[in-house]
Amino acid sequence: MLDNIENIIRSSYVYTTANYFFFIYGLTLFGLYFSGVLLAIKGIRRTKRKSTFLQVGDIVSATDIPSVTLIAPAYNEGLTIIENVKSLLSIQYPYYEFILVNDGSKDDSLEKLIKEFDLERNDASFIQQPIPTASVNYIYKSRNKKYAHLTVIDKNNGGRADALNAGINFANTELVVCTDADCIIEQDAILKMVRPYLEANEKEIVACGGGIGIANDSVVKNGVLKELKLPDSIVPMVQVVEYIRAFLLGRMAWGEINGLMLVSGAFGMYPRKRVIQVGGFNPRTVGEDLELCIRLRTHMEDLNIPYKVVYLPETLCWTEGPPDYDILIKQRDRWARGLWETMSLHKKLFFNPRYRYMGILYYPYWLFFEFGAPIVEFLGILLIIFFGIFGLINWPMAVLLFFLIYGIGCLFSTTAIFLYVKNFDHYTRPKQVVELLLAAYLEPFLYHPVLVYGQMKGYYKKLFNIKSGWGTMTRKGFKISKS
Amino acid sequence: MNKESLLLSIEIVFSLIAIFWIFIAFSLLYRRIRTSQLRLIEETFADIVSRYLYNDPKNPLTLAEITRTLRNVGIKSKNSNNIQFLIRLMIRTQRTLLGNNFKKLQKLYTQIPPYGVSIKKISSWSWYSKARGIREIYEMNQSQYFDEIFKYRNDKNIYVRREAQIALVVFLGWESLRFLPYLKHNITLWQQIKIVEKLYDLYPRPELKWLHRAYETEKLFGKKLLMRIIRKYELHDETGYIIDHLNHYDYEVRETAIYCIQTFAVSLNKMNYIKELYEDIPNVNQQGLLLNYIFENSEIDLDFYLQQLYSDNEDLKLSIAEILWNNGYKEKVQEFYYQQYPKRELNVG
Amino acid sequence: MRKILVIQEDIVILKILEQLVKINNFDCKAIRSLEELNIDDQQSNFDFIITGILFEGISPLEFVAQVQEVILHKNLLIVTNMGQDKVKQEIFALRGVTGFYTVPIDLDEIEAIIQAY
Repeated sequence: MLDNIENIIRSSYVYTTANYFFFIYGLTLFGLYFSGVLLAIKGIRRTKRKSTFLQVGDIVSATDIPSVTLIAPAYNEGLTIIENVKSLLSIQYPYYEFILVNDGSKDDSLEKLIKEFDLERNDASFIQQPIPTASVNYIYKSRNKKYAHLTVIDKNNGGRADALNAGINFANTELVVCTDADCIIEQDAILKMVRPYLEANEKEIVACGGGIGIANDSVVKNGVLKELKLPDSIVPMVQVVEYIRAFLLGRMAWGEINGLMLVSGAFGMYPRKRVIQVGGFNPRTVGEDLELCIRLRTHMEDLNIPYKVVYLPETLCWTEGPPDYDILIKQRDRWARGLWETMSLHKKLFFNPRYRYMGILYYPYWLFFEFGAPIVEFLGILLIIFFGIFGLINWPMAVLLFFLIYGIGCLFSTTAIFLYVKNFDHYTRPKQVVELLLAAYLEPFLYHPVLVYGQMKGYYKKLFNIKSGWGTMTRKGFKISKS
Repeated sequence: MNKESLLLSIEIVFSLIAIFWIFIAFSLLYRRIRTSQLRLIEETFADIVSRYLYNDPKNPLTLAEITRTLRNVGIKSKNSNNIQFLIRLMIRTQRTLLGNNFKKLQKLYTQIPPYGVSIKKISSWSWYSKARGIREIYEMNQSQYFDEIFKYRNDKNIYVRREAQIALVVFLGWESLRFLPYLKHNITLWQQIKIVEKLYDLYPRPELKWLHRAYETEKLFGKKLLMRIIRKYELHDETGYIIDHLNHYDYEVRETAIYCIQTFAVSLNKMNYIKELYEDIPNVNQQGLLLNYIFENSEIDLDFYLQQLYSDNEDLKLSIAEILWNNGYKEKVQEFYYQQYPKRELNVG
Repeated sequence: MRKILVIQEDIVILKILEQLVKINNFDCKAIRSLEELNIDDQQSNFDFIITGILFEGISPLEFVAQVQEVILHKNLLIVTNMGQDKVKQEIFALRGVTGFYTVPIDLDEIEAIIQAY
């Protein structure tokens, strides 16, 4: 049997095909990343310049700006729910409403909310439900006028997507922002996020996303990030770099060519009417944010209405990343399943010229390079092992190639860190930047293999139809400063 | 690819990384110095303006002292970044004040640096500089450059033409309605907001002859702009223009009309007309908004609500039922629901 | 001496209001956030508080409620950028607010009020 494998591997067909496949795949990826850096630089510069003519101070005083509802689902978050709600209520926007959706929590979340915010129970019989959801029990509004903008929807459990849909149904504003109850949103985030909607000209904005940052071990006071610290341990530390790179280079670049297929579930703004038209978030996938964005795009293509999905480079939302390998694997496993489900739900887009660039370029990119990357990496490792065993590897050249690829990876991460440090003032201390760079350089050894494992685990579950839900994401919570 | 070329590539890649390290170090250092410098300029400027506006006879502030103080914190012609920051501060401050203080500030701005910086920007090839120059000129009320700016009102760059259009409002006031509703390019929501707010801040007394002439526009953005003006100035006699657009074929025009009419309480006749238009609105969300308006601004009209309840339009029946239920017509709602399930279909007894 | 507390995040408006208050012979405490208040300030009974509503970590309505609860005062004037009718109505619904002024503002109105006091 081993002889057979050896014969197959040694055959020039397998050897040459494998070599060319990995070379072309790597080169294409390099080309895409390089173009991404150039597009991102252009995008950041343009966004900054545009903001000169539409400043936050102008928007805050304007009268005809769209109204916005922030929707945050919460499930068993009783420990931090009061802090979180106060934090999300403090967001600065003149026409702002906040809906917290209690998604059938089994803990004392609702009791705590009722007590703290002096909530009054209202009947939900007449609530319009353009998007079907699990049944809504009651709607709560505060008797206290200082919490006039707060609404709590108490509903039966239906999952995150279902809870968001219930919030969207109840919202009465032009725009909705979907987030999580435990995210810390920058105070002026909505003022910045509405900019593209105010400036929309020929193209309608169907979704707008902002940068998301990792804030493990940071200090939070009154629901505001008081001191942004780098995480103490390596797993979340590398995620800081990963997020900077993904958001600042990846999303910014795709945004520049209107190729964004994903607006993160942690912080995304949408026109309510369009979300309702497409039937809201899909509760049957764990990748509901990606799926909604693609569905919105497909819908606009079907209607033949010019549209845009926009990304703002600035970090507007802070979240807590998985603090250790176990939780990281669970998270990436879930993301991989979400990606699988979404790709398969929208397979009609594949090289479909009816959907223009989305069919010809963006969807295939996601399929080959987002969905396909872990598989290619996994196959690459297998082939290195087999080629190594059968003596088909020129080791000195392989080591040099490894250094080159490693160097290129480090170069992209360093560029992302440079662009972040240059344009934003979140990490301003030399020690922080050195730590970020070190984390970036250790990423391929200490982090990336685990990531690939998590993703492959997700694919394995989908392939063999192994049932799995969201998985528990245990969070440590931010450091709360009381003084 | 041989060993030498690989080694060379590795050297290039790692050299690039080292170059980025230097850029990062420089960025960190520059940010630190610049932040403290800008803070100093801001505090100094705040101090100067406050003392200038409310001059203390015991400690008077002279023009010479102002110029010297500004120079001491780095406001020099060779330092264009500092000058640009000062201009931003000047604009920001002027936009917070009205009345005598506004006039005093305008006088101050003609006497202190920077002199003539903005007009130079207009001749720049870069859209960014050009748009900034126009903005500075109208914010600082340098009306002598109006002719220079006027020609950019239909510029191909959206930011340049946007700033030029706002300049039209600042310098011409209501008369700018001769041009604005007829521009070549669409104007964005933000542009409309800015125009209306500038007009309202600087020309609070309406000049209806310009508004009436502008009604002739067929441009959709022009119609939206005019409705926003009517709303901002609360021109009750002009609500007819808004009402006429409630059933417009264009979604956005209807949306603006529904938004604007919500500011007004209208006469019974007009409300009856709005109720007639209600059924012509082809979008359920917009119908919902108008239904809310009708409910909140008129007495309960049982015939109207019952007509809607029994109509073919299913989408808003729940809202209509809620209105009737909460306003003393529970039996009408019950009747409607019983009628939906004829007796023969009920498996009772 | 009569005393006024000015709370504004924007340093330019803060300084202008501070100077306006001083020139009208009031003692003035000018701060950029509530955190700058010391224990003595919290025990004073201010004749006026002139404050904005946009501060970090607290919603405008809760901020006004908090100011009313924790600082002794006779009159509360709001001077803010975010002065839309809806915001104004919500602030007045809290009760106890003497005046609400939207930026851009004619400071002669504020001066007239404190002079008349």
